[in-house]
Amino acid sequence: MNRFSRWIADFLHPPKEARLDLGRRAVLGASLAGVGAKLLFGIAPEASKRTFNPALIRPPGALAEDDFLARCIRCGECMKVCPTNAIHPASLEGGFEGLWTPVLVTSLGYCDYECNLCSQVCPTHAIRQIEVAEKQKIKIGLAYIDRSRCLPWAYSKTCIVCEEHCPTPKKAIWFEEVEVRNIQGEKLTVKQPRVDPELCIGCGICEVKCPVRAPAAVRVASVGESRNPENQILLTTDSYGQG
Amino acid sequence: MAKKQKTSWIVWLRRLAQTGFFLLFCYLFLQTVYHPINQAGRGVTLFFNLDPLVALCSWLASHALVGAMLLSLATLAVTFICGRWFCGWVCPFGALHNFFTSLRGGPAKQKLEAGGYHRWQKAKYYLLVAFLVAALLGADVVGWLDPFSFFFRSLSTSIYPAINKGLVAAFTWVYDANPGVGPVRLTLVTEPVYSFLRKYFLAAAQPYYWGSLLVGSLFITVVALNFWRARFWCRYVCPLGGLLGVVGKNPLVRLNKHQEKCNNCRLCLVDCQGGAAPDKGWKPSECFYCWNCKSDCPAQAITFTVGSPHEVTCHSERSEESRPASPGVGAVREPPLLIDRGIEVGKKLR
Repeated sequence: MNRFSRWIADFLHPPKEARLDLGRRAVLGASLAGVGAKLLFGIAPEASKRTFNPALIRPPGALAEDDFLARCIRCGECMKVCPTNAIHPASLEGGFEGLWTPVLVTSLGYCDYECNLCSQVCPTHAIRQIEVAEKQKIKIGLAYIDRSRCLPWAYSKTCIVCEEHCPTPKKAIWFEEVEVRNIQGEKLTVKQPRVDPELCIGCGICEVKCPVRAPAAVRVASVGESRNPENQILLTTDSYGQG
Repeated sequence: MAKKQKTSWIVWLRRLAQTGFFLLFCYLFLQTVYHPINQAGRGVTLFFNLDPLVALCSWLASHALVGAMLLSLATLAVTFICGRWFCGWVCPFGALHNFFTSLRGGPAKQKLEAGGYHRWQKAKYYLLVAFLVAALLGADVVGWLDPFSFFFRSLSTSIYPAINKGLVAAFTWVYDANPGVGPVRLTLVTEPVYSFLRKYFLAAAQPYYWGSLLVGSLFITVVALNFWRARFWCRYVCPLGGLLGVVGKNPLVRLNKHQEKCNNCRLCLVDCQGGAAPDKGWKPSECFYCWNCKSDCPAQAITFTVGSPHEVTCHSERSEESRPASPGVGAVREPPLLIDRGIEVGKKLR
């Protein structure tokens, strides 16, 4: 026998000392650990699909949550490439299974309207490749006004910052001009902002630019995200029917 | 009589390859930024595309595979022939561990005793099995411990921002204090360096990341463990190493120990990176093909060969010149080196 046929023979019946002997019971135990992990992930509240974490804002183009988790390898490419430092490794926003998956922290950064870099670099297409034009139509969440903090709403002061920064062609933030009184009893007109849930894409620039800090008077929640028809602000007939 | 072995040119070639791939990884990392107009660096996912573990787990969990990830089949093919060559020569995370392992101090005897195979090295295979089974059931969490994910995530969310912050603070401090005599100021040196770093290394704006402390602490822990066991991560933890160990469990390129030359000094264990037991019953699944054992062996008893020559022919590869001159004893072969004498030699080895 020459050395190659011996190699093939060894491959089929390796000598004892060179064998990779993992032990059947130990391999079974490791498999059960994998099954156990899946079962434990499966009973987390997020898995019920009846409750959604408002802080779990995924980058635009992210697949529906189950598909997303099946693909995301938590590599941090999207976090590195994001030019506004908006994408962060999740702690427990998406349950333990989602540890270190990308999540937008809209108090720190916003999703730039002209950017799709995270979809360009995602190695597993957990964030699918999308053109900028398509990205501009994807809702990653929805902004809401905190009327107890917003300057025109709560303090009768003039402010139009959120509306000015809103990037959608038809602004998702619109004003209602209201005559109010200040503490001296003087009448003045302020513009109270409102959010149009049809137009808002949840990019979060309003939250980042809002002059009210920690927390801002306009904030973004994941509700309304395009990738998840269950997580909508208005009850659809389907979800209503399920009770 | 025993003199320090000259480091084999293959070891130098391996170090060159490791340095190259490590720098490539760092370059691609730095390229993972915005380029005008709205363009990420090209090919920045190269190492992830070479990684069969993430390809396999993504495919098991989502039943879909990104085309570029088929590159990882090349890694598997090479591994099938050459064993865990990838771990020792290509993997940039492995290169980092290799570097920190080489910084270890301490007596060679200690390294020798910790350098052999340990049964806990099987842990990585069990981690691999657990990850694969979970992925098969749809829970793909392999990214927690996939080496490239671990490395890139740690760099991007923790290590790089920290270095960035430190560098900017240091250069700003020098700029503000501006020590020097007359027209000779320190800033004459530091400012050009800073401009260079600003252009090629530093972030456009200081990045901050949620939970960076946990990610960074894990990274530092894993790196520090190299001082306890050579390439701790690669030996005990790395699930990609486990996968490559399974695929390359009977490689075509094999270590052969020439028993008639071996004097059982076990110096081959001192610098063994994978804990592959080159001294007795070589374990191909643990071997990184780092060539250190061959390079360190004072008796030239270790060779790497293609195929399985079970019966080692007794042709002497040692030239007559390299034999120690022992005129008095005549026909008597060189006596076996005592372990302690061997260790004395080993102290000088790296």
